[in-house]
Amino acid sequence: MGNEAIGRGIIEAGCTVAAAYPGTPSSEVLESLVRWKKELDHPIYLEWSINEKVAFEVAYGASLAGARSVAVMKMVGLNVASDPFMSAAYLGVRGGLVVVVADDPGPHSSQTEQDSRFFGWFAKVPVLDPGTPAEALEMTLRAFDLSEKYQVPVLLRPCLRVCHARQNVSLGTPGAPADVGPFKKNWTRWAAIPRYRLVLHGELNEKLETIKREVPEARPVLISQGSGNSTALITSGSVSSHVRDIVASDHRLSSVAVYKVDLPFPVEAQAMQEIVDTHRTTLVVEETYPVLELQIRDRRNVMGRLSGHVPQQGELTPEIVEEIILKAIGEQPTAVQPPKIKPRRPSLCPGCPHRPSFFMMRQVFDQAIFSGDIGCYTLGINMGAVDTCLCMGASIGMAAGLARTPPANGETRVVATIGDSTFYHAGVPALINAVHTGAPFVLMIMDNSLAAMTGGQPTPAHDFLADGSPGVAISLERVIRGCGVDFLEVVDPYDHASTREALQRAKDYTFNENKGVAVVITRRPCVRAPNVELSSAKFRVGDGCDLCMTCVKDLECPAFQFVKEDKKMKIDADLCAGCGFCVQICPSQAIEPEGH
Amino acid sequence: MIMVELVLCGRGGQGIVFLTRQIGQIATAKGLEVVSSETHGMAVRGGSINSHLRIGRFFSPLIRAGHADFLLSLDPSETANNSHYLKRGGVTVENSTLPDGLGIKRVDAAGLAKNLGRVQLENVVLLGFAATLDGFPVSVEEVREHLSSETRAQVRSMNLMALEAGIRVGHPENGHKSPSPSPSRDGRGKGEGD
Repeated sequence: MGNEAIGRGIIEAGCTVAAAYPGTPSSEVLESLVRWKKELDHPIYLEWSINEKVAFEVAYGASLAGARSVAVMKMVGLNVASDPFMSAAYLGVRGGLVVVVADDPGPHSSQTEQDSRFFGWFAKVPVLDPGTPAEALEMTLRAFDLSEKYQVPVLLRPCLRVCHARQNVSLGTPGAPADVGPFKKNWTRWAAIPRYRLVLHGELNEKLETIKREVPEARPVLISQGSGNSTALITSGSVSSHVRDIVASDHRLSSVAVYKVDLPFPVEAQAMQEIVDTHRTTLVVEETYPVLELQIRDRRNVMGRLSGHVPQQGELTPEIVEEIILKAIGEQPTAVQPPKIKPRRPSLCPGCPHRPSFFMMRQVFDQAIFSGDIGCYTLGINMGAVDTCLCMGASIGMAAGLARTPPANGETRVVATIGDSTFYHAGVPALINAVHTGAPFVLMIMDNSLAAMTGGQPTPAHDFLADGSPGVAISLERVIRGCGVDFLEVVDPYDHASTREALQRAKDYTFNENKGVAVVITRRPCVRAPNVELSSAKFRVGDGCDLCMTCVKDLECPAFQFVKEDKKMKIDADLCAGCGFCVQICPSQAIEPEGH
Repeated sequence: MIMVELVLCGRGGQGIVFLTRQIGQIATAKGLEVVSSETHGMAVRGGSINSHLRIGRFFSPLIRAGHADFLLSLDPSETANNSHYLKRGGVTVENSTLPDGLGIKRVDAAGLAKNLGRVQLENVVLLGFAATLDGFPVSVEEVREHLSSETRAQVRSMNLMALEAGIRVGHPENGHKSPSPSPSRDGRGKGEGD
């Protein structure tokens, strides 16, 4: 897998500190490092940081102390880490510092399809853009070398189609721990005040000029010879692989000269201009923003996103790329049109503890505004339990704002929901702010003990780190109390009665007694967590069922299936996790244990 | 050089990723070049998922519409969403109780897997069946050898039983009568990732 190839590159580069926050499509990089560390008995230090900003800062500190280090995240994670990222570009690094940022054109599992190459440009940080898993490994090694040589952070930007592609790659030797020597005090650099920042900015600009001049990857490389000088194509990253296959498989495209850029920032713009000037038309195919295209100065003969020849949004799938190229050379596209797909919507797993939490919340707070957050539980939209979802931690910040709106009917109430990992990540400052300002909302923290959506990474509540070595467990209750919260209850969401009562008490506290934020933790491990034994209990729908559809519509449990032929509700025994929550809430008490 | 393109589809949780990796590993062991792509994240929570597997000299992990040689479908309701990937003359291999159709080979993988005590083995049953088909890039023997290398004895035996069940449907004529496996609901073997 591309992410595993990056992990391997990190080990081969002799990197000794890696910090990451999980996020699709980046999560497997640190997971593969855990395996390499064990298999190779490598000394690398690994952590799942509390968020991407901290991950970057840990990696940056290690670089100043002389080690090669890496921070890994998805592209929206770089938004969180942007403050130290931008500043670190000015200050520079000592040990090679690589920031791996996985982009998600599509987007398949993200809030935006932003292009991290643009972020590199904005921060004045060089960007390498791999097209395949094999290139990702090579470029990881290259990124460390460039970073150390030019003393700047280097951004490695794999797209999802590289991260989650599988391919054979040749492995090199694991590198000995690299070290450029211990930290040397120099406040004009490492703690620069604005006067010195100006100097550092000038140095950064010089570094970029030098890189453009010296680094071969900053120049477009011809990867497919064209005939004549009619059409050139400039591409970069994962979409370049689609381009290669398409051009190689279609004789009509043999005239197109294909150039690939591995370092899209800072690119040698003059070299691109020469390609443009020597061809009648030049097509730029890149993902997802026009980073190369914008660096071409004279774009009169350039076709790309800016000229409207390439779609402004959405993933560039091979079908779309084929159509773009054929149209550019004046041929009729032949691509088969995919059917209007009705994809099956994802749902919370059967037995997921979020389901009963949401169900009881909907019962207790009927007409409230539900301020949601990022994680598996965003799927609460299926249950009408999520009205807003902005970014990590925004459920709490936004709830405080939503609760300030003058109520239209005097009934406006706000309930925020957030998972444990997301709460640690970005919810804590928002909660302190809400308590301090007396914001009137109820917060339900759904604690399933891990980051479930991304594959079950541990949170700070555990007493072990990413690789299983000991860590200090941070109590969620103590953090919440420390934020100034007075009302705090912990319940098991499988227990319908006590969950209802706790939420009711929270409702009274916040909305009737006007005492500010109340917090209820609904705690039960994810059904996919290791060591969680599913109940062997099985249930069936008895004769008392009056087809009220509560189980399908409100509980939205995938194990329930309405059999049209018999007009009966049925529980699919293969899907049912045996949680038994439906037994507690079925209005006609029609669900009974199997075997009765 | 052999060039074969496969699309695999189904619902999240059916073991599509596992299946893709098995075929990829077997082809790789034969010295073929393989590139594949998988679905992760939000979609795997029971949603529609597919993966692409390309054997031969390819750079991109994605198959273009109209280019796939095989479509392996673990869920009949997902077949239509992916059949546009097939090229003319391409073959669909579907997990279904229906009889074969034009260009579509069917096996009741879910039913056979349930008989073995674990519906999750349906992906391995489907693989056994597909491996018996003409032009499929990995052979019955190669799959058998690959699954035999699993070190966990329970997982290995469950996977091999599921594999043979699929092979028997594909090769009824030379189906050596193996003793019917005893169904056990607590079978811990699983046809899924490690």
